[in-house]
Amino acid sequence: MSTIKDMPRNDPFTSGHGACAGCGMAVAVKNIMRILGENTTVYVPASCLIVISAMYPTTNFRTPYLYTAFENTGAVITGIRAAQRRRGLSSTVVGLAGDGGTFDIGLQALSGAAERNEDVLYVCLDNEGYMNTGIQRSGATPFGAWTTTSPVGNVVKGKREFKKDLMAIIAAHDPPYAASLSIAHFNDFVKKVEKAKNKKGFRFLHVMTPCVPGWRSDPSMTVEISRLAVETGMWTLFEIEEGSSRTTYRPQTMLPVTDYLKLQGRFRHMENDDIAKLQDWLCRKWYIHYGHEAEQPVCAVFEKRKPMRTPQEEQLHFI
Amino acid sequence: MFEVRFHGRGGQGAVMAAQTLAEAAVIEGRHAHAFPFFGAERRGAPVMAFARIDDEKISIKSQVYEPDLLVVLDESLIDIEPVARGLKKDGKAVVNTRKSPQEIDLGVEVECATVNANAIALEFLKAPIVNTAILGAVARITDLVSIGSMKQAIENRFGEKFGEAAARINIGAAEAAYEQASVGLCQGRRPLVIKREWLPDWRDIPIGNSLSAGIKDGVMVGPGGARQNLTGSWRMQTPHYDQEKCVRCLRCWFTCPEGCIKREDDDHVRWDLNYCKGCGICSQVCPVTAIDMIKGGSR
Repeated sequence: MSTIKDMPRNDPFTSGHGACAGCGMAVAVKNIMRILGENTTVYVPASCLIVISAMYPTTNFRTPYLYTAFENTGAVITGIRAAQRRRGLSSTVVGLAGDGGTFDIGLQALSGAAERNEDVLYVCLDNEGYMNTGIQRSGATPFGAWTTTSPVGNVVKGKREFKKDLMAIIAAHDPPYAASLSIAHFNDFVKKVEKAKNKKGFRFLHVMTPCVPGWRSDPSMTVEISRLAVETGMWTLFEIEEGSSRTTYRPQTMLPVTDYLKLQGRFRHMENDDIAKLQDWLCRKWYIHYGHEAEQPVCAVFEKRKPMRTPQEEQLHFI
Repeated sequence: MFEVRFHGRGGQGAVMAAQTLAEAAVIEGRHAHAFPFFGAERRGAPVMAFARIDDEKISIKSQVYEPDLLVVLDESLIDIEPVARGLKKDGKAVVNTRKSPQEIDLGVEVECATVNANAIALEFLKAPIVNTAILGAVARITDLVSIGSMKQAIENRFGEKFGEAAARINIGAAEAAYEQASVGLCQGRRPLVIKREWLPDWRDIPIGNSLSAGIKDGVMVGPGGARQNLTGSWRMQTPHYDQEKCVRCLRCWFTCPEGCIKREDDDHVRWDLNYCKGCGICSQVCPVTAIDMIKGGSR
């Protein structure tokens, strides 16, 4: 399976879930489930996914499905796999956790499972915040973003820390397979999930899933935002296989980060010095990922215009 | 005590409407409170909000089960849930619709005000946020609060949160709705039955077993059962597909969050509009503009 044309037609993740219109996470989960197929056991910790897909006594998954607590995705999928071994069963065991359940709360269980090299697939659906509980900051929230716990004041505007480099933490565990995915790079997405499905041992997938209410973006722009994240360097597509890292997609030229920021209301307050700081961080990141194969990155000179806002737009934005 | 229940969809501002109504009553020197229904609200999903108004201090804190006034912010909700459940016989109702009160069937025959708040909101606010427009109609049908104190309350609430200009626009919407609302008796033919839902307890699913897919009391349960939840009613715009232009790249099929785009044997696609929420991603990713989003939902 290497392109979207080769994907199976049936949907183990059915329609009728309660996600917001334009949910990036629903796109990711639906396609991951299509590729993994029906012979899969799904575990979901506390997250948006549990709320939208499991209204008791129904679920959207046509597969066995389990839910316990927030922090133990790594431990629970380990347990499911152990029980399957004991009973002589075999299926793909997948944990679909959010970024809160991976970066912050679930990090110890994840680290444990990765270190023991359990035969499971761990997927982090990264929407850069605790969106289910009403947009709080997490370790995955990027620099400068507005959330309810990193508000925009007169002095401090948005989050002051940069996004945690989770893939570096995972790489330090030396897993058989780890990859970062984007829902806007279709064939790359399919190849990586297929590869993860067929490998043995601990496999980790990191998917960027734009969140319409949390990122204050337009529902139709979900995929475009994912694409721009890769083109501006905010997101990098690479895979780590048996200890060696390989970039799977390199943008032709580096777009200025403002192209990405202007589509999202959570960055609307950002001023020139903050944008310059973010751009500088991105340029360093760009060198780390593409340094050997890329010529000088175009760390574009930019000018930010103060956006003109009408009250109608403002109201639309904050309801 | 005067009790009000608001039925709307996430994003229409039902909670804000309840709070503004309560504030208008407080301005007139009465006691009031307002609060939303706590659930897994998502944008477009059915939501509820409540308000109580009394001359004395209000000690009851429960949800409103027998409202004196029912406010329906989205007409399509009448078909999918019994909104008029518990509405008093001498109660009143306000419905956001383009129809006249006589054409509305709430299930209880009461005095009803109808107003096309969608059109008013799009005219004044340029967005389908109907809460302030519907409040104008509320002031029209009840003598609960005057339009003057309603306008004052809108100014306080919206001015504080979104600035003076936003408050002015919202007051304009409320005034227009106050003028345009038509009042009459609505019909009461619809049966108000609550869909019984079977909720398995520990005896139905013994320890070590899991619930298997099946039908119980006419309702699907178990794995995959959530597909009975037809989310197509959330839609505000509808995709229009031009098969002639389609190059069968399947990008829309891949990126549809609902899975409502079905893939035919020849890789052309077809929409299952029962589930389409009208996000517009398919139209955005289409390389040949074969998909247009047309305004208008499932109605």
